[in-house]
Amino acid sequence: MDVFIQLLINGILLGSMYAIISVGLTMIFGIVRVVNFAHGEFLMVGMYAAYLLAAKFGLHPYASVVPIVLLLFAMGALVQRFIIQPLLSADEHIQIFATVGLSTALVNLALLVFGADLYSVPPSTVQRSVMVGGYSLVIGQIVMFVCALALVSGLHLFMQSTPLGRAIRATAQNRTAALLMGVRVDRIYVISFGIGAACVGLASALVMPLYPVSPTIGTYFVLTAFVVVVLGGMRSMYGAFFGAMIIGLVDSLSGYYIAPDLKEVVYFAIFIAILIFKPTGLFGLGRGTE
Amino acid sequence: MTAKANPAPVAATRRPGFLARLTHPRLYCTVILLALLLAIPLASGSTFMVHVFVTICVFAALATAWNIVGGYAGQLSLGHTVFYGVGGYTTALLIAHFGLTPWIGMILGAALAALVGIGIGYPCFRLRGPFFSLATIAFLEVVRLLAIHFNGVTGGSAGLIVPLNLGWTWMIFREKVNYLYIAFGLLCLTMVVSWAVRSSRLGYYLTAVRERDSAAQAAGINDTSVKLIAIAISGALTALVGAFHAMYLTFLEPATMFSLATSVEIAMFALIGGLGTVMGPLLGTVLVVPLAELARGWLGASANGLHGFVYGSVLVLITLTLPGGLVGTFGRRVTRWIDALPGGAQSEPVAAPALAEVGGTRGEPILVAKDLVKRFGGLTATDNVSLTLKRGEILGVIGPNGAGKTTVFNQLSGFLKQDAGTVDVIDAAGTRHQPTTPDGFARLGVGRTFQIVQPFGKLTVLENIMIGAFLRHHSVENARASALRVARLVGLEDVKDVEAATLPIGGLKRLEVARTLATEPSILLLDEVMAGQSQADTVRMVQLIRAIRDTGVSVIAIEHNMQAIMSLSDRIIVIDSGKVIAEGAPQEVVRQRRVIEAYLGEDFVDAQGL
Repeated sequence: MDVFIQLLINGILLGSMYAIISVGLTMIFGIVRVVNFAHGEFLMVGMYAAYLLAAKFGLHPYASVVPIVLLLFAMGALVQRFIIQPLLSADEHIQIFATVGLSTALVNLALLVFGADLYSVPPSTVQRSVMVGGYSLVIGQIVMFVCALALVSGLHLFMQSTPLGRAIRATAQNRTAALLMGVRVDRIYVISFGIGAACVGLASALVMPLYPVSPTIGTYFVLTAFVVVVLGGMRSMYGAFFGAMIIGLVDSLSGYYIAPDLKEVVYFAIFIAILIFKPTGLFGLGRGTE
Repeated sequence: MTAKANPAPVAATRRPGFLARLTHPRLYCTVILLALLLAIPLASGSTFMVHVFVTICVFAALATAWNIVGGYAGQLSLGHTVFYGVGGYTTALLIAHFGLTPWIGMILGAALAALVGIGIGYPCFRLRGPFFSLATIAFLEVVRLLAIHFNGVTGGSAGLIVPLNLGWTWMIFREKVNYLYIAFGLLCLTMVVSWAVRSSRLGYYLTAVRERDSAAQAAGINDTSVKLIAIAISGALTALVGAFHAMYLTFLEPATMFSLATSVEIAMFALIGGLGTVMGPLLGTVLVVPLAELARGWLGASANGLHGFVYGSVLVLITLTLPGGLVGTFGRRVTRWIDALPGGAQSEPVAAPALAEVGGTRGEPILVAKDLVKRFGGLTATDNVSLTLKRGEILGVIGPNGAGKTTVFNQLSGFLKQDAGTVDVIDAAGTRHQPTTPDGFARLGVGRTFQIVQPFGKLTVLENIMIGAFLRHHSVENARASALRVARLVGLEDVKDVEAATLPIGGLKRLEVARTLATEPSILLLDEVMAGQSQADTVRMVQLIRAIRDTGVSVIAIEHNMQAIMSLSDRIIVIDSGKVIAEGAPQEVVRQRRVIEAYLGEDFVDAQGL
């Protein structure tokens, strides 16, 4: 029983990392209606930035959250402005190829610059565990859990109660109608893509103390994030949050009860099943929400 | 339509002679280009060049095979190395455990890959765009992880070494040039298959399904089965190449056999060359692979990642500047030059084949709908609608906007499944059928048009009509001849070679009718075909519908153009709020109080003292 509860805790904490990444992916898909296959590479870029800041200036990744979030916001906004925006009216397969190409280029650029080696930041207290009621919790993961909650509530407030948030929601629901009401849709898309990428920036600063960075780290995380987004109904931020928790739990439980190397098989199987049998997502939040 | 109207005998169909095809410049130019892939490395004599050209042949073959699903069918698979790996592992394991020659092993691998393709395609083809791509990636990841997990079979992450028996039987050579011959042979095979698919009924059907599902189904195409055929062919070819490549590399590991990066590269070459074209994948590969391989050869390990960076950047640039790829952008011009070379004469047109005769006795029922009910949430869009269409009759359906006329049509043609009630189609022999799918209705002779036009925008007008004609004529020549006859009948002959997307709305409406007529229906369902037509065109359309009816076809027409529908119909039914509120001869129906109320409101009726 103790093992089971420990696994549940691990799952929730792991899920909060996926939540931060997936909320960003959901923003981009839900508003710009583009599936960003390069999302994982944004994470990779953020992690290398965190690594460099730590290596050159001795900054703890937590201390470099602000510059990294800003960097990723800028990167997302530029990608939207110069790659996605010209392709918005193009065929869907062209959009897929554009982000897939971006992903391939970024992975290999990292390989070219940093090589295939793993880099990590110097160990810090964040990696330690604390015992709460007999269960062990990694400090860095607790921070991530808190940040995930703060991110979702912050975005909720932003979307519901600021004029910009309202404009973003209007654009997400009906691009043409929003345009007719004077919303500058192109700018909304640039901002939304930027916010989506900035979420990943937050994730990379939080993940860096716990995981080493390599050129392919993004692929590893983003496939999971896609599972989460589909599970959560693709357009719903809250769906993505809960989807992430579920995948965290599946990861943690199947890793223990089935086999550590088959946990991905389990959630990819869930992913395929959801796509096929319940394409509106597990909570039915796929349409009309947000 | 009857055979009497068209005395042209079927035997008049002529195919251009084999020799004439052989001397066609398109063919000999392709052969010359392909021959260069052998001649250059043989002439250079360097092992490195042989390696580069083996790689080119392998990737060009993979991209060509991918294109059958990704290009022709428009299903962007990003997990295509599943098939490559299945081919490789099947072959290697059959050698290791049963001493089976790879020549047989690769065929078994291809058969298995075709089955795997159907297994992946069947559930995933209902997904749209990026979600299909994601699902194929997920399948690839699952297979890769399973290949690692079951290391007793596959050797796991440590990999599997192919037994090194030299000779043609075992496909392992000291002379590298032998590999080039096999790779070249595989490339030629995939090119021939790809060309054959493209220029057959299947190729047109795949394009139709890619461009517009609904219209394809209305033309009698079972969209899932044509896509499954495509993925089976594509998977089998990919597996053949994978089997060969495994023998060439002599080492298999899950990370390379089931690689996501390779899957993306394959798709990328096809896009760069031009999706959905026969030559595109080959040209894309020939352009990009040598660049990357040469860079790797010159810069060595220090350039780790360089070729991937080049690939990715080229891909982004291509999407931004040449979304049609090389062939899509320059293809037409180059084809014109090539056709101007000696031997490029156009083949003679073929006489249209005879039409099947519409049988049965006039006045007997041909389509019977009974107690149809369709609800959308709380709204009952179709409320106990029953109607009978008689052979050779024109039945008009009128009613205010939102009355549920099109919803009834959708149930009469299989596009919506009714919640209750039945739709019987009665064939010439008097047998009752209850088809359930749109293509099932089409095959039984129910042809429909769409109120919101559904052209295959990127095909020419004639090709659009051919998609319909393929339902009754399997050969391309016959379908083309038959489509030409329909184009003439409907008044689209002058624009037969323009892209359908460029037609004005009146033309598009006529194209709807033409595509449907080409399926040679016995029941024609016309959904507001007069809307958007000029006065003169409306008159022509009325004449056309009458002429069609005179050949024995039964017609149901939804129409808002009252003058046209009144003069055209033998009988009219009026639908309001999902119910049939009146039925009878045109002049009687419009005088009924309920009908006037439905159109103009009760107040108007009272004010007029009707």
